Amino acid sequence: MLSASFFFLAAAEDGADAGKAIALALGIGLGSLGAGVGIGNIFGSMIQAVARQPELRGELQGIQWLGFALTEAVVFYGLIGGLLAFVLI
Amino acid sequence: MRRLLALLGAGYLLLPPLAFAAEDSGAEEFDPAHEWELKDWVPIHLGPLDLSINKAVAYLILATVVSCLLGVLLMRVRVGREPTRRQAIGEQIYEIAQVQIAEQGLPTKAIGRWFPYCASLLLFIWTINMLGFIPLPLSDETFEIAGIRLPTLAIFAATSTLSVTLALALMTWVFTHVEGIRANGAWGYFRSWIPDVPKLMLPFIVPLEVLGQFMRLISLSVRLYANMLAGHMLILTFIGLIFLTHWLVFPVSVLFGTVFYLFEVLIVVSIQAYIFAALSAIYIGSAIEPEH
Repeated sequence: MLSASFFFLAAAEDGADAGKAIALALGIGLGSLGAGVGIGNIFGSMIQAVARQPELRGELQGIQWLGFALTEAVVFYGLIGGLLAFVLI
Repeated sequence: MRRLLALLGAGYLLLPPLAFAAEDSGAEEFDPAHEWELKDWVPIHLGPLDLSINKAVAYLILATVVSCLLGVLLMRVRVGREPTRRQAIGEQIYEIAQVQIAEQGLPTKAIGRWFPYCASLLLFIWTINMLGFIPLPLSDETFEIAGIRLPTLAIFAATSTLSVTLALALMTWVFTHVEGIRANGAWGYFRSWIPDVPKLMLPFIVPLEVLGQFMRLISLSVRLYANMLAGHMLILTFIGLIFLTHWLVFPVSVLFGTVFYLFEVLIVVSIQAYIFAALSAIYIGSAIEPEH
């Protein structure tokens, strides 16, 4: 299934494989850029909110982790899409 | 007793290299993706259905047993004046399930019916994720010592296979629609998907909203699946760098492997279980009481 090697070192033996590996890495890297900004935003806003109203910390924490996981998952959609393209094409 | 168990575990970890050194089986090509090749242990084929028991199924059975035991051990305690440690942990878990998940997502009238489902989702997914990071002798690789073939210790999470997470997500998805139709009637429920927009926009909005309902299924299952897959792949890749490049990489890869392992165990495992349960509660709650 996923038997193709994910290692760029191993993949570089073949020109086409090397190209696919670079595309996979670039795609995931660019995808994680956006998620990085998003997660930074969430925690930044959380710090501001708690600094203004420390008594709301407990309530905000649930929302914060929800937002964190929803944002973080975006990278993994990219990863799965990239891996699918890498293995299938 | 605890020390003896730790010693036995460490001994078991040391056995395979010794056995492999004695066997001299030659250098096998290392590929982290081998972890996800599931071999049938007990083949069961019913026509086109493949119900064979493999590594993932074994982990699922184990996780079911462990989460049942956890529930019994932590919740069924004699409540005394001085709370014991067990009681404290049990109450903590219950409070997260009640306050953070059920009361946030579900309308008040539905908490009694759907709290058990969301709480067991939380406990079960947490258990199955956690078992994935404890080295257990459930692996396809074996080694031979003193004439007995034993499986090597390995880490593998059943939630890093798509079928497991898709089954969990399908349950939530089906329950959402069943509850929505039961509470609002079929017409009222499907009407509640469509927001108030001008009539001209309807041909564009309706397909999008229907597609959105199916995207929930995909996003719910792929989120958990991809998180666990990526976590395991990262750890295995950093360990694998030792075999693929040079033995001098050893300290770096051990450092990074440990860091990612701790990150996964301390944060990702609990967060993903919480997210899955919370989103299930929100979906079911919003189907029972649509916002408009």
